[in-house]
Amino acid sequence: MSDVLENPRGGCVLAGITDVLGAAHRLCPIFHSGPGCCMQASAAEQGQSGNKNSGFVSSVSIPSSNMLEREVVFGGIKKLETTIQGAVDIMDADAYFVLTGCTAGIIGDDVNSTAEAFRAQGQPVYAIDTPGFAGDSNLGYEVIWNTFIDQVIEPDLPTDEKLVNLFGIVPYHDPFWSGNLEELSRILGKLGLRVNTFFTGHQGINTIRRSSSAALNIIVNPWLFKGPADKFESRFGVPYIRYPGLPIGAADTERFIRQVAEALELDSKLVDQVIEEEADYVYSYLAQAIGVLSWKRFAVVGDAASAVGITRYLANDYSFTPLLTIISEPIYRPEDKDRIRARLNDLEYARPPKIVFAADQYDINEALMNEEEVSLIVGSSNESEVAALKGIQFITATFPLKERLIFNRAYAGYRGSLTLTEDIYDNN
Amino acid sequence: MKETYSGIRESRPGRLNDLGTTGEAAAEEFRAGCLKKADRSFAQGLQCQQINSMAALMSLDDAVFIAHSPQGCIGCTSLAVDQYRVGQAHRGVKHIRNPRVIVTNLDQKSVIFGGEKKLRQAVENAVQRYHPKLIFVFASCASGIIGDDIDAIVKELQQEQEALVIPIHCEGFKSKICASGFDAAFISINRYILEKKKLPRQEGLVNLFAPVSISYADQVEMERMLNLLGLEVNYIPFYSSLEKINRIPAAQASTSICKVFADEFMKTLEEDYGIPYSHTVMPIGVRNTDKWYHGIAGVTGKEKEAKEIIGQEHKRILPLVAEIRKRLIGKRVFICGGTGRSFAAAALIDDFGMELVGLETPTYDDAAQEDIEYLNTIHKNYVVDIANMQPFEQVNLVRKLKPDVFIGVPEWAAKLGIPTTHVLDMKRPTMGYDGLLYLGNKIADQLENPGFNKKLSRHVRLPYKDSWYQEDAFKYITGGEQHV
Repeated sequence: MSDVLENPRGGCVLAGITDVLGAAHRLCPIFHSGPGCCMQASAAEQGQSGNKNSGFVSSVSIPSSNMLEREVVFGGIKKLETTIQGAVDIMDADAYFVLTGCTAGIIGDDVNSTAEAFRAQGQPVYAIDTPGFAGDSNLGYEVIWNTFIDQVIEPDLPTDEKLVNLFGIVPYHDPFWSGNLEELSRILGKLGLRVNTFFTGHQGINTIRRSSSAALNIIVNPWLFKGPADKFESRFGVPYIRYPGLPIGAADTERFIRQVAEALELDSKLVDQVIEEEADYVYSYLAQAIGVLSWKRFAVVGDAASAVGITRYLANDYSFTPLLTIISEPIYRPEDKDRIRARLNDLEYARPPKIVFAADQYDINEALMNEEEVSLIVGSSNESEVAALKGIQFITATFPLKERLIFNRAYAGYRGSLTLTEDIYDNN
Repeated sequence: MKETYSGIRESRPGRLNDLGTTGEAAAEEFRAGCLKKADRSFAQGLQCQQINSMAALMSLDDAVFIAHSPQGCIGCTSLAVDQYRVGQAHRGVKHIRNPRVIVTNLDQKSVIFGGEKKLRQAVENAVQRYHPKLIFVFASCASGIIGDDIDAIVKELQQEQEALVIPIHCEGFKSKICASGFDAAFISINRYILEKKKLPRQEGLVNLFAPVSISYADQVEMERMLNLLGLEVNYIPFYSSLEKINRIPAAQASTSICKVFADEFMKTLEEDYGIPYSHTVMPIGVRNTDKWYHGIAGVTGKEKEAKEIIGQEHKRILPLVAEIRKRLIGKRVFICGGTGRSFAAAALIDDFGMELVGLETPTYDDAAQEDIEYLNTIHKNYVVDIANMQPFEQVNLVRKLKPDVFIGVPEWAAKLGIPTTHVLDMKRPTMGYDGLLYLGNKIADQLENPGFNKKLSRHVRLPYKDSWYQEDAFKYITGGEQHV
């Protein structure tokens, strides 16, 4: 189910899959699709994510069957076979994943059998038969994890009590994904845990294969990944917790830590100590710039995880006034919307913001224009137009983000909150 | 009877996209008619024609752009959106706008039941929200395969709308050559906006066709040069409007900045409206800029003035070019790029006395033959890779040919430690006489200071197996079945 949308954020299922394969180490997508899909999927996500691309393959370096009229009419399996053969011959990847474009999906090419034939010869080739038109990149993120669960992850591994899997931060779909994962890993590491982020520190197919040995799946997102998390639990017995939004700042990151600690029954002395150390680190900086940021009535526009995290940090920890939070990705399940609303309504002192669910840019612009008292917009590059019209402060902090280069900058966690605060500073 | 051009570039006889050869062999075999259509049994991703159709038009005023497609097919509009925003900043626009792009978001239901309802909804949204003068509807692979008759839907919708609703047939699977998308856009502009209605000729007005990839600095330089000839420029379609498009038939002549942009359309303008045109080269480098300038001067009766101006410009520029030449002479170059840019770059390096060792360009046809014959008079034994990018072939060739500099998309050659630069800078100057100096200094500076790429190559590997570099770069080009 998809709605007619103006300036939607991100690409199709293939784009979400490409996000994951591009961020993990040495995984090669193979597109069984029309001629432009490699570029489209890469440009849709990596192309608007702080100007960094996959270091392995992206866009025109992704193997593709480039289906033309002949394949549409006669089927494209032959073309796919030679494309996979070429890819395994020359691409130095640890695993290959065949993606199904609209063209292949509509004509019904049997990609699974083709991939199986290569696997029978010992080649790590896996097929994903969910076509591009099935949905957006968020769905793609879930689809590729379902593929990993169904075809790649090893069952029956002994549980490692100190190992956790981190889900819910979609690489590239969050421009700060690298930094955010690094910061959350750092924090969990201080608690004595080892973290599978899957996308940092050259983690790749072996990390994915062995992820069933984790003691806990941690989803950092208010709604995404429900299906794969349930499947992961029933298939491999790994339970999950959901932290509903990006934890930003001392207060929310403490909540995040305590939720993880409770689930894993971590040593409370260590937990308290880490929380105290980290909060001290943050406040020793905040103490050096008191009153430096002028008071703002703010609006946030972004995917649910970022919008919830940023709103809560600025309202709870920075005492700015939240007026409007716009969740700019399509979310259909009522319980997901309720969870997001609950999180935004449950603020410490501030009055909760108005909450709008709108993925259409016209609707987003209208909502922002109607909020006359707003003096700061934290949003994506798409909101630069309305911010300019309103003549108010604007920072780009959510996807799509085109006018900044983002390497390892984080907004999550303790240190990320300082970075976010730095970015909001305005000398005008 | 005149044939109707379909907009599919490979339908033109003698045009092919898959070939690995040398400059000399290519010229000879093309002359003898021995070059046959081939294919690649393994390939990397291409650019589809829909990307070009959308990018070409997305800076038009008072327009809404509807992609009748799943959400993924507007991925590449992110580049055009950025280009449009930056372009407005360069043009001094204070309130920078987003282009209005609406995607019908075809999904599983549409694939079964058709997408007509969604298309109607999208057009309705466009009208209610923006009251545009132009609504473009771009077809996609999905809309084409499921058989949505967008022409019929649009025709019906048009009766209820003041805005012109214009379908563009840029279904990705129909062409391997992304420039077909430019043709698809112009075919629709002619059919739905200009409608073969002739206008009184306005002496001195020229249509200058330019794609999205031309920087504002380059636009200003081209306009400056044409103004020197006493010509008024109708710059189309980048940053133009319905009003400017409507003036196209009034022009005295047409020219284009890019070899594969509006070339077919200019032919049509001559046939339908009697407007002569000049289709030469991309004005990068002294020779190409001269040629381009002579070309438009020739069809507007300004040869004498052009000759004089070129003389003056040479006097000003050539000493400066000679300085750059000292820094670049004899350096061996590999070039990759689109059709216009790659040949322009190849001509450009002649200004600087550089040696061509390899050239990647997307198509081979009559126009390419002309360029190759020219290059053959200067360079010997250079490799020609007819490919739409295909970086795996390029890195194989670059490893073997060991050029001193790589001109083109920097990503892969940089990881081999070779100095890289490019002639496609959508935000800064490259064209005309002044652009040449900027470009020459850029190439020379980057060549002299290659530290970044050298260090990068020590830490980063390309995604190819070592064994690939031992293989024939053109191993995957197959004679293939005779098709297309």
